[in-house]
Order: sequence, then structure tokens, then C-alpha cells
Amino acid sequence: MTPEELQAAIAAANEINLEVYYYWCTAIMILIHAGFMMYEMGASRVKHTLAAGTKNILAFAYMIPTFWMFGWWIYLAMTNGFVPDFEAGAGGVPWGENMGPNLQDNATGVFWGAFTLFACTTASIMSGAVIERIRMAAFIILAVILGSVVWILAASWSWHSAGWMVTEWGYHDFGASGLVHMVSGFFALGVLIHLGPRVGKFNADGSANVIRGHSLPMTMVGLMLIVVGFFGFLGGCLVFPGTGISWYADEWANIYGQPTTLSTICFNTLMGVAGGMIGAYMKTRDPFWVMSGALCGIISIASGMDLYYPGLAFVLAFTGGIVGPISAAWFEKMGIDDAVGAVSVHGTCGIMGVLYAGVFLGGYPQFSDSIPTITFMGQFKGMIVMLLLGLVPGFVFGWLFKTMGILRASDGVQETGMDVEVENMAYPEEIKS
Amino acid sequence: MFNSSPIETWDGAAVFMSFGANTGWTHLWFWVAVLCCLVPLWVALQAENAADKEHGS
Repeated sequence: MTPEELQAAIAAANEINLEVYYYWCTAIMILIHAGFMMYEMGASRVKHTLAAGTKNILAFAYMIPTFWMFGWWIYLAMTNGFVPDFEAGAGGVPWGENMGPNLQDNATGVFWGAFTLFACTTASIMSGAVIERIRMAAFIILAVILGSVVWILAASWSWHSAGWMVTEWGYHDFGASGLVHMVSGFFALGVLIHLGPRVGKFNADGSANVIRGHSLPMTMVGLMLIVVGFFGFLGGCLVFPGTGISWYADEWANIYGQPTTLSTICFNTLMGVAGGMIGAYMKTRDPFWVMSGALCGIISIASGMDLYYPGLAFVLAFTGGIVGPISAAWFEKMGIDDAVGAVSVHGTCGIMGVLYAGVFLGGYPQFSDSIPTITFMGQFKGMIVMLLLGLVPGFVFGWLFKTMGILRASDGVQETGMDVEVENMAYPEEIKS
Repeated sequence: MFNSSPIETWDGAAVFMSFGANTGWTHLWFWVAVLCCLVPLWVALQAENAADKEHGS
């Protein structure tokens, strides 16, 4: 074998390894969706169980074709803001040569797949908040707007080396505290404002009743599955080394081109999960929140988890585990019926994640000197953008669907059970919650 | 049936999806896929309205 042939063989092997890596990241991320489905079915009362599960299945199903139709194109084309760059977007046109079987392109399919699963996660985040009263068709359309348009627009701006928030502000959001979690959490809040509470949630004097789901164990196992899925999610946030589209020949990098390692992500994913669980346990001693605390923890550190010292990551995640349930209680006091605390877990803890990176990661160099370093103000401005990018479309489309009369199931359907709309029963033996 | 292969040999082949990139057929299947997403939403809306009617408001 000549040196040239050897080099070509190494390059080919690296391309295949890249393909394999993101392929399995995508498969592992499906566990996030399985976990959210269990989480939300368990958090539903018996009469709503299958409607909650079906909602999750259809969000997953609709996200895939719509992300293929226009989601990936938005990511490639919208890095400048609201004006598309058609040349940059050419690789995402659904009838183009990259968006299907192509022997010269091993990467697009697996990148599209990983991003599609990120999109599915955004829809899952919203779906927990709205269980037991949202109508299916409206939910599906909202899920598509969130997952195949709004979130990916945020990603194009802030999770792409050419994104304007990166090049102008040095915005840093490695694990998507802002662009996935904040956007989804505040989109859900915008929808909840118009959707209203479940029948029986609030009394006439404004006080709230506790509505318990029918299977907390199912919810807890679901949350643990989400934690497993996070390994695919956060692993998929890295750029594989040694290929034509890699940042470096021999080093992993984050999406911004800063070198990092899989070991870094392993340290801080686990420390984040643990910190959040322990913090939530200290605050609530409620098993639901102990497991949700894992999400609070990891989301509170996700923006900077490619750079944090693990001890710091643990402490920051611990605070996320404490703040999550406090925030949920506050939203409930404000009259928002968020059935699983999604706005707090993803929205509030997402804010923490974005801002913590600004507080603790100042001065890290970027891959190019022309890009500002990470600063608190860069992160703060980014946080405002993410909040608005989630809240405004959720509010507007929630209002639109409410006005059209397709957003909320009638009180009669809610009292009978949302499962009448899916024409099946979760527990035909009449198990009572 | 559709004679959809865009290539005649695997030597030097790149795009090999059925019908090839940027053809009339790929556009047609794209829009059929869009319809396959929209029609079930209409069906879901009808089912929801029927459930509302049956169980009161």
C-alpha cells in the first residue's frame, strides 16, 4: 500500500466512524422520547393516559417528515437572522442531492437524524405541560412549529459557527440550555396562557388542587430513560474529528470549534444529573421532583458543560435542582397549570444554564480571534433572545388556535377522559388511580 | 415499475436515490408526503369535534 493509498483508507475509515457515531447518538436519543412518553403517561390520570402517549408518538412522527421538508433547510439557511441565505441552504433542500441516498455524502443523513431527534425533544418538552386538555390536531401543529421551525431557527442563530449570535456576541450554548430548553419551555408557557388549566385544577378563590398522575413509578422510570437519552443528545453535540467536515484532525470539538473531549461530557453529564437530583431531594423530598431534578441539574449546566470543572458543574446543577421546584410553585401561584413543571425545568433552569456560562466561563478563546469571547452580557442578551423566540410564537399560535376553537378539549371531554379521542383504553380492567 | 434508477453503473456513482435529485418525480413525492401529513390532521379535527359533540361542552 502506498502512503497515498494508506491516507485515503484512513480518511475513508474516519468518514465511516463519523457516520456510525452520529447514527448511534440518534438511536440513543430516541430513549428521550420513550422516556417523555412514560413520564407523561404516568403523570396523567387513568382516563387520559393513552391520549398523552399518543400525543408523544405523533409529535415524534410528525417531526421527522417536517424536519426533512423544511427544518434542516432552516438550520443551514437562516444563520443571518430572518433573511434566508439560499446558497447556504442548498444542502437542505428536500429534493436536493444531499437529502437522500448519496455515495459521496456520508454525513448529511446522520446529522439530519440527530437534529431531528433534538427537534423531537423540543416537542416532548411542550407536550408534558399541556396534557389532559389539549386537542390532538392543535398539539401536532404546535409541535411542528416548535420543533421544525422555531427551535431550529434558534439553532441556526446560536448553534452554528456562522450564526449571528455566535459571531456577534460570542454566545455559548454547548448543550442547548437556551436554544432547546428555554425555547421549548417558554413556547409551552405561551401556549399554556391560552390553553388554561385542567378542569378542577384551581378553585374559585384561585388556590390550586394537586392532581396526581396514575403512576409515579412509570414517571420515574421515564425520567431515568431521559437521562440515558441525554448521553446521545450531548454526545451528538460534539463534532467528530478527522474528517473533511471536522474542526480538527485529531481532536473532538464543540459545535463552535472549541476543542473538547467525550470524557469532558461524561464527567459533567453525570455530575449534572447527580447534582440536580440531590438538590431537588433536599428541597422537596418528593420522588417526582428528585427525578425531575436530574433534568433541572443537567439543563442548568448544559450551556457550559464542555468547559466546566466537574465540581463546579455539580454545584451549579445542585442549585438547578432547588430552583426548579420553587419556580414550578411560583408558576402555579400565578395561575399557570403546567402539569409536569416543564416551564420551570426547561425554561427557568435553561435561563440558569445560559447565564451560568456567562458568569463562570468568561475569557475562553473562540476558534477565531474575530469572534468575541464568552461574556456575561453576550449570554444575557442570548437569554433574552431565547426567551422571546420561545414565548412569542407559543403565545401567538396559542391565541390563534384558541380563537379558532381547536386548542382546548371541552370540559365534558376532559371529565370523561381524553382517551375518548384515541378510541382505546389504557387499563381495560378498570384499574383506578 | 417506475424505472426509477438515476444511475446505470455503480462506478463513480453519487446520488442514487430513486428518481435522482431535483427531478419531477422527487417533487411529486415530496408533495404527496406533505399531503400525507395534512390529511390526518383534518381527520383528527373531525374526530375531536365528534367527541366534543358526544360528550358535551
